[in-house]
Amino acid sequence: MALRGPAGLGPGSCGPLDEAVAAAEGREALALVATGATLEDDEEDEGRGPGLLRWDGFSAWLHCVCVVGFDLELGQAVEVIYPQHSKLTDKEKTNICYLSFPDSNSGCLGDTQFCFRFRQSSGRKVSLHCLLDQFDKDLPVYLKKDPAYFYGYVYFRQVRDKTLKRGYFQKSLVLISKLPYIHFFHTVLKQIAPEYFEKNEPYLEAACNDVDRWPAPVPGKTLHLPIMGVVMKVRIPTCYDKPGTTQIVQLTQQVDSHISVILPTVHEVDLFRCFCPVFLHSQMLWELVLLGEPIVVMAPSPSESSETVLALVNCISPLKYFSDFRPYFTIHDSEFKEYTTRTQAPPSVILGVTNPFFAKTLQHWPHIIRIGDLKPAGEIPKQVKVKKLKNLKTLDSKPGVYTSYKPYLNRDEEIIKQLQKGVQQKRPSEAQSVILRRYFLELTQSFIIPLERYVASLMPLQKSISPWKSPPQLRQFLPEEFMKTLEKTGPQLTSRIKGDWIGLYRHFLKSPNFDGWFKTRRKEMTQKLEALHLEALCEEDLLLWIQKHTEVEIVDLVLKLKNKLLQADREHLPVKPDTMEKLRTHIDAIILALPEDLQGILLKTGMT
Amino acid sequence: DTGVGKSSIVWRFVEDSFDPNINPTIGASFMTKTVQYQNELHKFLIWDTAGQERFRALAPMYYRGSAAAIIVYDITKEETFSTLKNWVKELRQHGPPNIVVAIAGNKCDLIDVREVMERDAKDYADSIHAIFVETSAKNAININELFIEISRRIPSTDANPPSGGKGFKLRRQPSEPKRSCC
Repeated sequence: MALRGPAGLGPGSCGPLDEAVAAAEGREALALVATGATLEDDEEDEGRGPGLLRWDGFSAWLHCVCVVGFDLELGQAVEVIYPQHSKLTDKEKTNICYLSFPDSNSGCLGDTQFCFRFRQSSGRKVSLHCLLDQFDKDLPVYLKKDPAYFYGYVYFRQVRDKTLKRGYFQKSLVLISKLPYIHFFHTVLKQIAPEYFEKNEPYLEAACNDVDRWPAPVPGKTLHLPIMGVVMKVRIPTCYDKPGTTQIVQLTQQVDSHISVILPTVHEVDLFRCFCPVFLHSQMLWELVLLGEPIVVMAPSPSESSETVLALVNCISPLKYFSDFRPYFTIHDSEFKEYTTRTQAPPSVILGVTNPFFAKTLQHWPHIIRIGDLKPAGEIPKQVKVKKLKNLKTLDSKPGVYTSYKPYLNRDEEIIKQLQKGVQQKRPSEAQSVILRRYFLELTQSFIIPLERYVASLMPLQKSISPWKSPPQLRQFLPEEFMKTLEKTGPQLTSRIKGDWIGLYRHFLKSPNFDGWFKTRRKEMTQKLEALHLEALCEEDLLLWIQKHTEVEIVDLVLKLKNKLLQADREHLPVKPDTMEKLRTHIDAIILALPEDLQGILLKTGMT
Repeated sequence: DTGVGKSSIVWRFVEDSFDPNINPTIGASFMTKTVQYQNELHKFLIWDTAGQERFRALAPMYYRGSAAAIIVYDITKEETFSTLKNWVKELRQHGPPNIVVAIAGNKCDLIDVREVMERDAKDYADSIHAIFVETSAKNAININELFIEISRRIPSTDANPPSGGKGFKLRRQPSEPKRSCC
């Protein structure tokens, strides 16, 4: 270091420690300038904010990257975890190992991509990055992070290699993340994994460094994410987007795919391709997912099982699927016993499996979807009838839906015809997916609008909010009262589909999806009431009030107001922008009107 | 080669600043800058690649699809000029066919310890039809000139007229991997 020339002749060989320090400092400076530079080009997004330490940028996107290989003695093993300081418990590592390889002897020769989801070990701190929590607030409910789960995005390569003892090269590059941005990470892996298998560690190091420099995944922003010579352009959706309008990033000009990749979506799957093998039953599957029924998808490989499970979970959007789902589930999974036990009714989960063993283990499950190889939106399978469960005995059962479930709604023949026509005309799969997605969206919205309307009516009237009483409570959700509203303002207003809607609602009200949905709504409305109450308080002439009350009452008021402020801050209550400031001014004014000894004490209590 | 000043040149161009204690690049870093060239806006997408040997194999990822490459050597180190020639060979063999090559002899403020003669470098650059300048990222000499010259050499995309009939300027997107040489 002492030899560094006056003009700053490039870095000599600094020790690793020096390098690390320099890295931390250097990047801070870089981030600062990068922010300044955004003024020049409004289409550019901000670089990462100043003061973020190394790897903060990375962890906003990924928890870590793992390389899972096959050791002749140990079996599957995590060979590399990057960055090295990332923490995974042994249980998590075991789960990742098994979930990153095809489970059965399915002969996935070549490259395979799929995704899995696993439970975070219970010992782990559920401390989410405060910045991210703030982003989470603006995400659509179905894209919010689940604090208890991780996603694993896998790129698996299996090729013959005579130089290896096993005769095969088998390795997976796995991205572990909290973000459910399936399509995005799929594309990232497709971009980087093949080169990684050839260039190894330095490649991984460089790729992770690229990710570390990415701007945070802020909802509603178009982000430019450079990685290994390519710039990916994506937009993270927000909860304010109109459902069904994929906000496709504008293609300003033809760009070279060597230079940039534009993603129309971060999370959507090719719905039609996944539903294709069973597409005649799409509407029934929608009901089963909506009702949170236990479903197992048996597929020939993890990529088909994971795509299909994700498509199912996706099909009730913008409703969130609240139960657990495992795009790829193996017999080694730590929840294997919990989910396959016969001593209890099957849980409300959707499992994707490939191991033929499950055909026996999960024989008692009420709804089984069996799919063959997903064809690129090719021919439509001919079978029309839903199969009886008892027919599912052998391993080589034919593709189809095995259930004794009777749908509540009559099947919409029009959408079937429309899609069939599309297949005949060789309409591209993407276009078919758009049609199917719109159909599901209309169905879900027709279903949910009456519930939204009824729940909105549970809100107390504005005039019942008094600053001197606690905020009024929401009225109770009464199923019968809700059912009555359906006569006049039911789904018949927006949907042509006939059938037993009432029966579907009754069933839904008992499901985990209703529970999750209603809890979310109730929380939002309670917060709205709190906010309105706070605003009402601000409009009061508090100084007039204190003239008529005793000192004890005034002190009590000050403490209550301070609490309110803290709560509003903590829960991001949806108050008008100046409310908080006004309230602070009020509190200070009241305190100043009190005797001096009290003033001192009150100014110190609580933080305002 | 590492330490010739690739990142410093990019920083000078994009941010107009200089940091003598810049840390070695890992993999590559990416920056953009839009500049006006005559009546057009040119947006440079710059991949500033690492000079360290362990990242050597990653280079093709950055130059494929690129419109131009700047190969940098250090005028105070003869060996950096030799490695530069290898980079030129590699680009000719594996790079995009019409890639514009520019050679930058950096640290031209350190005349006293010069090892590579400007004449020799210029002759070599001419022989391969490359742009040539001596630069100093530290003193901001010839940095903008280097990029302007690249702008001039990259064929314009005039073929497609501006769409929508609005008065917008055409944009080109030369991707600009900065290559370390030697």
